[in-house]
Amino acid sequence: MTVLEAVSLTKRFGPVTAVDGVSFSVGEGEIVGLLGPNGAGKTTTLHMVLGLTTPDTGTVRMFGRDLARHRAWTLSRVNFAASYVSLPWVLRVDELLDVFAHMYGLRNPRRQVAEVTELLDLGELRDRRYGQLSSGQQTRVQLAKALLNEPGLLVLDEPTANLDPDVGDRIRELLLREAHRTGRAMLITSHNMPEVERMCSRIHFVSGGRIVATGSAVELAGAYGVDDLEAVFLRVARG
Amino acid sequence: MSSLVLDGAAARRRRIASVLRRDFFALRRDPPRMVDMAFWPTTELVLWGLVSMYMQQNRVHIAVAMLLGAVLLWQVMHRSQGELAFGFLFDVWSRNLLNVFVSPLSTLEYVAGLVLASVVKVTATIGVMATLAFVFYGFGLLTIGPGLVPFMAVLMVMGWALGVVAIAAVIRFGQSAQIVAFILVFVFQPFAAVFYPLSVLPGPAQAVAALVPASHVFEGMRAVLTGGGVGWGGLAVAALLDVAYVAGALAFLLYALRYARLKGKLSRFGS
Repeated sequence: MTVLEAVSLTKRFGPVTAVDGVSFSVGEGEIVGLLGPNGAGKTTTLHMVLGLTTPDTGTVRMFGRDLARHRAWTLSRVNFAASYVSLPWVLRVDELLDVFAHMYGLRNPRRQVAEVTELLDLGELRDRRYGQLSSGQQTRVQLAKALLNEPGLLVLDEPTANLDPDVGDRIRELLLREAHRTGRAMLITSHNMPEVERMCSRIHFVSGGRIVATGSAVELAGAYGVDDLEAVFLRVARG
Repeated sequence: MSSLVLDGAAARRRRIASVLRRDFFALRRDPPRMVDMAFWPTTELVLWGLVSMYMQQNRVHIAVAMLLGAVLLWQVMHRSQGELAFGFLFDVWSRNLLNVFVSPLSTLEYVAGLVLASVVKVTATIGVMATLAFVFYGFGLLTIGPGLVPFMAVLMVMGWALGVVAIAAVIRFGQSAQIVAFILVFVFQPFAAVFYPLSVLPGPAQAVAALVPASHVFEGMRAVLTGGGVGWGGLAVAALLDVAYVAGALAFLLYALRYARLKGKLSRFGS
């Protein structure tokens, strides 16, 4: 089953074409990576997928429905976390999760909050304010928020940026375990090549607003005649 | 999935409740905000109360009732606008706005949540002020009589409309436009004729004032306090103007959101 289908997405900001005819899909249980240098159009693409930015042309369908026409229905089945987004600093962890459980219209907010609290091992942090937490703890809270509605599609924009290697590794482990357990689809951007190699079954390289290469990490390395994804990245980024 | 997420009206109610809960959790964790809710209104009340007592002692009759009634009702509008706008700015300042906009919460549900939160907070503020006005100056807000509730309703709705305009301005023009949230209500204050009768204003300003819902309320309040009845005709005009203000404000908000999504400006609230 196709969870996400983005067709011919184009976005121009004045004279700059940020995204130029990008099409891709994400299937159930699939983890897809969008890779590319800064300014390649990855975040703009994600924001079109999430309805934050309206494409000039093209469509986004999720779970078989058009995002523009069925906004509440589709967005209640998706969730999002990013390194550049925060949560209200004055709220306690349990309050934050309660707010978002309500915001996603969950039938049983208390049960879902308890489940993600356990899943992300937040029990000891539940009465701490978000602003008092370390970067790694904040990332765990953001992921807890992102998993509250058990989304069919999880969109992550550089989820482990700003984290030390140990915490980053634990987060990746958790996301992979959850993806395997639930069959959840994920769409990820990252500048961490080992992370993408480890997590993504399919990778789209984006450059100049276009998808210039697609495949698994091994396929891409083979196609470019290099050893690993980082070398592919450098080849693409440097033209 | 279908059993996990509510649909229809139940989901809408829950999403609106999320905004309310967010607001009250934040209030509970932010004592300065709680103080702010009572401090400025109380300061104004004390200041104008002393001025009006001085005037009363100098035989300017019913000055206490006029001025304190005006101060209290003005706070209804001022606070309604402020609570709505600052509820939104709370999400901007805490870089939480993208989380809100990628959730299923619709624009109108978001505004409805902010409105409900403002009703509770404004009611609490006015309750404190009215008690203080009675204890310090012997002025009972209920002396305004049966017009009190509709007067307050008209002012609240106008305050919400201005709050929505402030939100729309920030979405349309970016964070630098947040100054609108601080000053917009004061742009209307001279035309609302809060502390003086409409007749004091020059002719053209009176024409403008006639289009401001609050001016009909404050004129009506003065009429009641000087022994006249409630001017239901004026209240009806004010209510109709409120409808136009709210419609205009919501249209501006929807336009601003459409514009921001088209220009990619919502994304910038994350950085």
